[in-house]
Amino acid sequence: MVEQQEKLLQEALGIVREQALGMKLNLDKGKLMDALKQASVMLSELRTSLLSPKSYYELYMAISDELRHLELYLFDEYKKGRKVADLYEVVQYFGNIVPRLYLLITVGLIYMKTNPSLKQALLRDLVEMCRGVQHPLRGLFLRNYLLQCVRNILPDVIEPTEPSEGTVKDSIDFILMNFAEMNKLWVRMQHQGHSRDKEKREKEREELRLLVGTNLVRLSQLESINLDKYCKLVLPGILEQVVSCKDAIAQEYLMECIIQVFPDEFHLTTLNPFLKSCAELQTGVNVKNVVISLVDRLASYSQNCHQDETSTQEISQLFDIFSDQVSSIIQCRTDMPPEDIVSLQVSLVNLALKCYPERVDYVDKVLLTTSLIFERLQLTCVEHTSAVSRQLNRLLSIPVQQYNNILTVLKLTQFTPLLSVFDLTGRKAMATSVVNNALANNTMVPTPDQVETILGMISALICDQEEQQEQDPEDFAEEQGLLGRFIHHLKSEVPDEQFLILVGARKHFMTGGDKRIRYTLPPIVFQAYQLAFKYSQIRDQDDMWDKKCGKILQFCHQTIMALVKAEYADLALRLFLHGTLAIGQIRFTNYETIAYEFLSQAFTLYEDEICDSKSQLGAITLIVGTFERLACFSEENSEPVMTQCALAASKLLKKPDQCRGVCVCAHLFWSGKSQAGQELKDGKRVLDCLKKGVRIAHQCMDPSVQTQLFVELLNHYVYFYEKGNALITVSMLNQLISKIREELPNLDSTEETEQIGKHLSNTIEHLRNRSESTEADGVSYDGLTL
Amino acid sequence: MLVLVLGDLHIPHRCSSLPAKFKKLLVPGRIQHILCTGNLCTKESFDYLKTLASDVHVVRGDFDETLAYPEQKVVTVGQFRIGLCHGHQVVPWGDPESLALVQRQLDVDILISGHTHRFEAYEHDNRFYINPGSATGAYNPLGAAVVPSFVLMDIQSATVVTYVYQLVGDDVKVERIEYKKS
Repeated sequence: MVEQQEKLLQEALGIVREQALGMKLNLDKGKLMDALKQASVMLSELRTSLLSPKSYYELYMAISDELRHLELYLFDEYKKGRKVADLYEVVQYFGNIVPRLYLLITVGLIYMKTNPSLKQALLRDLVEMCRGVQHPLRGLFLRNYLLQCVRNILPDVIEPTEPSEGTVKDSIDFILMNFAEMNKLWVRMQHQGHSRDKEKREKEREELRLLVGTNLVRLSQLESINLDKYCKLVLPGILEQVVSCKDAIAQEYLMECIIQVFPDEFHLTTLNPFLKSCAELQTGVNVKNVVISLVDRLASYSQNCHQDETSTQEISQLFDIFSDQVSSIIQCRTDMPPEDIVSLQVSLVNLALKCYPERVDYVDKVLLTTSLIFERLQLTCVEHTSAVSRQLNRLLSIPVQQYNNILTVLKLTQFTPLLSVFDLTGRKAMATSVVNNALANNTMVPTPDQVETILGMISALICDQEEQQEQDPEDFAEEQGLLGRFIHHLKSEVPDEQFLILVGARKHFMTGGDKRIRYTLPPIVFQAYQLAFKYSQIRDQDDMWDKKCGKILQFCHQTIMALVKAEYADLALRLFLHGTLAIGQIRFTNYETIAYEFLSQAFTLYEDEICDSKSQLGAITLIVGTFERLACFSEENSEPVMTQCALAASKLLKKPDQCRGVCVCAHLFWSGKSQAGQELKDGKRVLDCLKKGVRIAHQCMDPSVQTQLFVELLNHYVYFYEKGNALITVSMLNQLISKIREELPNLDSTEETEQIGKHLSNTIEHLRNRSESTEADGVSYDGLTL
Repeated sequence: MLVLVLGDLHIPHRCSSLPAKFKKLLVPGRIQHILCTGNLCTKESFDYLKTLASDVHVVRGDFDETLAYPEQKVVTVGQFRIGLCHGHQVVPWGDPESLALVQRQLDVDILISGHTHRFEAYEHDNRFYINPGSATGAYNPLGAAVVPSFVLMDIQSATVVTYVYQLVGDDVKVERIEYKKS
C-alpha cells in the first residue's frame, strides 16, 4: 500500500518536473500560451483520486512551487502595462476545471495586484468559482491555494482608500466563505467510502485539519479586526458554521482553534456566546477540554494583566460567567461522564484561585455545586481507583496546595461535606494530604472551633467508619503516627484556649477505639503536661493557675486511665511517672496528694499488669529513677513507696534482676529527697540494700553471672563509699575484690569472662587513680588492697 | 570519619518532627555512622536515619516499644570504643559517677547517653562523655526549657572533634570540643 502510493506519487512528480521544465523554457522564450498549456498539463496531476492526503499534499507543494515561477513571470510582464483582462479571459477557457481554477487564481492574483480597484469584485468572484470543485481533497487544496495566493493583498483597512479596493469587511466575508466551504468539504470526507474505513478516514481528516484552521489564523492576522468587528462579524460567522456542521471532529478542533488564535481580550468579551455554542455542540465533542483550555488561558491572562483598567471589570465577572455557563453546559449535556463534570469544576477552582486568591467563597461555591451534582447523579461512594475519584481528588487537593495553609482550607465550608462522596480510601488520602500540608508548613491550628472543624474533616483517620477496611499493621501505625504528630499542631498561645483544644481533641480521639488511642492519647497527655507548666510560668498573671493545673492533671489522669483500660500498661505507667515528675515541679495546691495518686497508679500497674520479667526490671528501674528525682513527698508518703520499691525489686523473678534491682533502690535512700529538697543520705539503708544484693548474688548458680554481679556490686560499693557513706568501709571493698579475684580464674575463658576481667581491671584502675590522687575529697583509701 | 550522635526524638508522643533547620543540615552521604540514644518511638524515625547513613546503631529508650533495640551497645570507630546507652536505667539520671559505672563495665573510651534532653560533653577520669540532648527539643519534666540539639563527631585516629549543634531561637549554633585519647 505504501509502496503503491510512493510509486504513484513519483510518477506524478515526474510529470510535474517534465512539464514545469517545458513551461519555464517557453516562458523564457516568451511563448506564454504554450507555457500555460504545459502548466495546465502539470496541474492536471492534481485531478487524481488515487493519492492519500499525505501524498497529495507533497504533489500540491511541488506544483505550487512551480506555479510561483509562472506568477513571478506574469507579474514582471504585466506590471509593464500589458493587459491582464485578456489573459484572465483566456484561462477561463481551459478545458478542465481543476487546472482552470488554479490558473485563474494565479492570473487573478496578478490582475488584482496590477489593478487594486478590482479586488472587491475579483475576490468574490474567485471564492465563488471554487465551488466548482466539490471533491473534498481537491477542493480543500484548491481553496488553500486561493487563500495562500491572496494572503498579502487582502484589504486590511476599515475605510476604503479608493472605492472598490475593498475594506476589511470584504476580507472577512472572503475568508469566512472560504472557511465555510472548506469546512463543508472537510466534513463531507467523513461520509465518503465504506464504514469499515472509518478509523482510517478520521486519521486522514486529522491530517487535513490545518488546512481548515488556516482560515482562522488568517482572520486573526487582519489588524483592522477590532473587538467590535470580532464580536459582530467574525465570531458569529465562525460559530454559526461550527455549530451547524454537526460534526464532532470539526467542532472540537475549531473551538480549540478559536481559543488559540484569537487574543485573550476578545475571548474575555465573548465568553457568553462562545460558551453557549459549546453547549450546542455534538454529543461526541469533548466540551470539557474546550472549556478547560479557555478557562486556563483566561486565568493566566487575567493573572498577568491585573493593572489594565478596561479588563478589570470583565475579569471581575469572569468567574460568574464561567460558573453559569459551565453549569448550563452540564445541564444540556446529559451524556457527560461525571469525571468530566468534575474536571470542569477543577478548572473553575483553578480560575478562582488564580484570579481571585482572596475569594474563598468562589472556591466554596464550586465545591457546593459539585456536591449538588453528585447528589443529583446519586453518586455516594466513588471508588478510589475510578476516574471520578481522581478528578475529585484534584478538585480538593488544588485548594490545599494553592492556599498552602490549612487554616484557609478550613474556611471552605463545603470541603468536608464533599469528602463524603469518596470511599474510605479516598477520604483517607485527602485527610492525609491535609495533615501532611500542616506538618510540612508548620501550621498551627489555634482555636477550639478550628480544631473541631479540622478533626471533622480528617475523621476518616480518627475513628472507624461504616465501611470496613483491611489494613496492613505497618501502614496503620504510620497513619496513626501521622495523627499523633498532628496533635502537636493543635495549639493556641492562649492557655485557656489550649485547654479547650485538648479537651475537644480528646473527645474526637477517644472515639478511635483501643487500637488507635495508643498513638493519639500520649501526645494529648504530653501537651497537657506542657500546658500545666505554662500555667505555672504565668502564675503571677493568672490567679486561677493553681486550680487550672489541678484540672489539667485530672484530665491527664482520665486520659491515661483510658490507656489502662485498653491494656497499654507499659505506656500508661510511663505517662503516670511523667505526670508525677511534672506535678513535683509545678507544686500547685494539693500537689502531693495528686502526685501520690499518679505514682501509686504507676505502682499498681507494675504490680498488676506488668508480667514479663524483663519489663518488670525496666519498670521498677523507671519508678526508682523517677522517685529519686522527686522532692514532693512528706516522709509519711515517701516511706511506704521506698519500702515498696525495695521489696518489689527483691521479688523480681530472676536472681540477677533482683540483685540489680536492689542496687538501684539503694540510690533512693541516698540521693532521694525530702520535701525540703534535702538528700536523705541514709547510709544504713543504702548498705542494707547493697548487702542484700551481695546475699542475692551468692544465691546465683551461674558462676560467670555471679562474678559479673560481684563486680557490679563492687562498683556500687565504691560509688557510695566515694559519696561519703561512712558505713561502707575499705575492708568491705577488699573483701569483694578478693572474692572476685578468687572466682575469676575458675571461669571458662570466654568472651564474657574476658569482659568481666576488663570490668574489674577498669574498677581497680579507677580506685588506684583515686587513691593516688591528691585531691581525694576527704575520702581515704588507706588499707585498700589493689 | 563523621559520626552522627542523636536521640530522644519522641515523635509522635511529644513532637511533630525534627526542626526544619536540622533536617537541612542532615544530608545523606556525608555521615558514615549514626549512634542513636533511643526514643525514636516509630519505625519512620528509624527509616529516616537509615536514609542518612546505612550504619545505624540504636539503643532502647524508655518510650521505645520495639524489642529490637538492645539496652546497651558498644561500637568501635577507628581507635575508639564507644558505648551507647539511653540512660533512663542509670540512677540517678545523668549523674556522672553513675555513668562512669557503665563506662567501666562496657570498657569504652567514649560513653554516649541521653534521657535528660540536655546536651553535655565532658571528660571524666580521662574518658569522654557525650549526651546529645534531644534532637527535637522534646518536652521533659525535669526542669528548664529544652534546646533541640545533636552532635557530630569527627573521628581522626586518636582524636575526636565534637561539634554540637543547638537550635537557639531560630539560629543553629555550633560549638566545638576536642578530645584526645591518652
